[in-house]
Amino acid sequence: MEKTLVFRTLHEAVPGAKWRSLFDYHWPAYEAWYLAEGERERPAYLSCYNALRRHMPELLDTYRALCELAGGGDLAARFLSLYQPPAYITGCSQAVLARPGAPLLARNYDYPPELCEGTVLYTRWNGRGVIAMTDCLWGVLDGMNEQGLAVSLAFGGRKAVGEGFGAPIILRYLLEFCDSVPQAAEVLARVPSHMAYNITLTDAAGRYVTAMIAPDRRASIRRVPVATNHQKKIEWYAHALASETLIRERQLSILVDDPATTEGRLLEAFAAPPLFRRDYARGLGTIYTAAYWPATGRVNYRWPGQTLELAFEHFPEQQLRVRYGPR
Amino acid sequence: MNKITSIADVRRHFRNNKEPVYFISATNFNLLGIGDWVGNFRHINYIDCFDGQQRNVFVPKEKFPRDFESIEDINNYLLEHKEVIDFIQSRAAGENAGVAAFLMFDEHTEEICRQLGLRVAFPPAALRSRMDNKIETVRIGNKAGVPSVPNVLAKVGSYRELLEVSRELGDDLVVQTAYGDSGHTTFFIASEEDYYKHAEEIEAEPEVKIMKRINCRGSAIEACATRCGTVVGPLMTELVGFKSLTPYKGGWCGNEMFAGAFSQEVRDKAREYTFKFGEALREEGYRGYFELDFLIDMDSGEVYLGELNPRVTGASSLTNVAAFAHSDIPLFLFHLLEFSEVDFDLDIEEINERWSHPDSVDSWSQLVIKHTDESVDLLTRAPRTGVWTLGEDNRIAYDHYSYHPHAAENEREAFFLRISGPGDFRYEGADLGILITRGRLMDDDFQLTERAKAWIEGIRGEYAGQPLQDPVVEEVAVTHAIGGGNFKIL
Repeated sequence: MEKTLVFRTLHEAVPGAKWRSLFDYHWPAYEAWYLAEGERERPAYLSCYNALRRHMPELLDTYRALCELAGGGDLAARFLSLYQPPAYITGCSQAVLARPGAPLLARNYDYPPELCEGTVLYTRWNGRGVIAMTDCLWGVLDGMNEQGLAVSLAFGGRKAVGEGFGAPIILRYLLEFCDSVPQAAEVLARVPSHMAYNITLTDAAGRYVTAMIAPDRRASIRRVPVATNHQKKIEWYAHALASETLIRERQLSILVDDPATTEGRLLEAFAAPPLFRRDYARGLGTIYTAAYWPATGRVNYRWPGQTLELAFEHFPEQQLRVRYGPR
Repeated sequence: MNKITSIADVRRHFRNNKEPVYFISATNFNLLGIGDWVGNFRHINYIDCFDGQQRNVFVPKEKFPRDFESIEDINNYLLEHKEVIDFIQSRAAGENAGVAAFLMFDEHTEEICRQLGLRVAFPPAALRSRMDNKIETVRIGNKAGVPSVPNVLAKVGSYRELLEVSRELGDDLVVQTAYGDSGHTTFFIASEEDYYKHAEEIEAEPEVKIMKRINCRGSAIEACATRCGTVVGPLMTELVGFKSLTPYKGGWCGNEMFAGAFSQEVRDKAREYTFKFGEALREEGYRGYFELDFLIDMDSGEVYLGELNPRVTGASSLTNVAAFAHSDIPLFLFHLLEFSEVDFDLDIEEINERWSHPDSVDSWSQLVIKHTDESVDLLTRAPRTGVWTLGEDNRIAYDHYSYHPHAAENEREAFFLRISGPGDFRYEGADLGILITRGRLMDDDFQLTERAKAWIEGIRGEYAGQPLQDPVVEEVAVTHAIGGGNFKIL
């Protein structure tokens, strides 16, 4: 069983026709997902709006503009708030290689390919350039802004679900309004997340942290350069076993702790087991590798045999078809 | 604005009104036509009875079928809906979004309104809920000198206990719980066997109202308690439990309003009681619109307090369209005035005097037509809202579109408000529509007239449905349809 996914890059400074076509293309699938547990299980528009206004007020203008492009309807607006979305889980490995003057944030995104949008969006919605791999149409799986902040998310491997936002919109908020790791860490400490996530960030100055956020306890934000799919100790053994989170974490830790590890060696490691995963059958296969150099504004998206090299200064719109399957 | 001292002032004040006023409910039935009196008045409804033709009715386009539990639930859904919020905000002046009126609302509704900048034009939900308690109603009535049917209030744990506490009432009893639709929470008990049918519901209550059973007719009267006194509308008859209209035994299914409803003595007594009750309500902190049910004892001519509804009701559609309402102002305008920030001093006694005169009360009736079969189907055809005519052959025909009952000019015409339409599920108890016509629909023995029957059959004949083949779809249809088993929208 082979799956394919088309990645595309889109450059649109202010929300407009390109974003709208993205919405129109993906909405039927997102609508079905959003309604999967029943319409009534999702919070009302007023609650979504209030939550955004309370926790991420600076995002409201962009949110309104996107809702308008999405047709101004009730359900789309609730979905786009990413407030209390249906629960979802992923794999993912991420690491910061904090070399002086050229920090690198690299990650593998492990997820069912049919559920990945495959869109790299370059926008200037709030006065700064942001390049990000999108999820839920404006949320961010990983990305970087012109001010030199790079972020990436991984599922935290816990079953807790509570009041809060889907992590992708929190990452979007970070990239739209934060310049540095300390600023972003302050946001991650206060904005509630509906599930457990590990967010790794680095900035142009070479600072880095991993924030372990969850709906049921205070965020733990520490100067840790790697994260996989558990928070401190293992709580969900089945997921930990299936995703091999401990093996991946140990591998990454060894690599980044070794002063001899070069960028090339780290990225090669992401392209090989145990970090590169072929578990597409269970939806835990690697869909892409991303590498962000926030100090120089460069980003690579990598697949076996293919690479997209992009930068704030160089961002051609293109498409790239990727096949996934057991080798 | 200067102090309002005349009816002309009230009319001018509301005609020139700039602040948005909303009636938020499942349909606009209860306050049909009020928009003609109040500038910037809008209905926000879940059901569009007018197929988009009525400018002052706003219905969100994107709706999901939900298993609503109550009208409060529908209203909260509406107020948290993006299209509704956008609509309200587009008409707001800064933080002030205007005034909201409801048939039903709860504490959550109040919280949403606060957030949206809407002022609720009713006493707080908690106070309304306390007033709505049937046992509380008896107490307020007793204090005000408005008698209830001989009764005792007590906690009942067994049939023996029931007999003990009600010894002086005889053995033919009516037991009511504190809350709930009278059609569903009134139990007739003349034997131990009757008792066991309802024992569980009765024994679950901390206190029930136990009444002597009398031979009575139901009646309804609407009023508005203002700071200048209580304005009282005319006494109306009630249509109750007709099998051709409702599947609910004892369920309300319409009203008649006419000058000669009951005897002059009964009418005078009901008006007097209503005025006194309104004044007593104000002492309790309640003000504004309310409705009282009176039970008229057919043997003794006594008038007894039945029930209080602290709100607009299904009878408001008649109270607010009759001649007196148009020669002065509809009763609901007194309510809006009481909840406005305008100072007023009106001679309520003079108004009540005028409204009690038989010339003030022209004759109107309404029928609430529900689906009475146990069958469930999907409607493919429904009669449109507007004016219909009844021909010599007793067939009905659509005449023209209108949003107002006044458009029906004589007894061969009626205004029909369509509730269930094509694409809706038709199930037992579903509201199909409401027919409002001039003249009476019952005879002096409280039986439906031939004209009433012809209208009911005519309207039913305009509906057509497609049977549901799949029992799973049917199950879903019943639980998701508004009113599915849990409550009635009217």
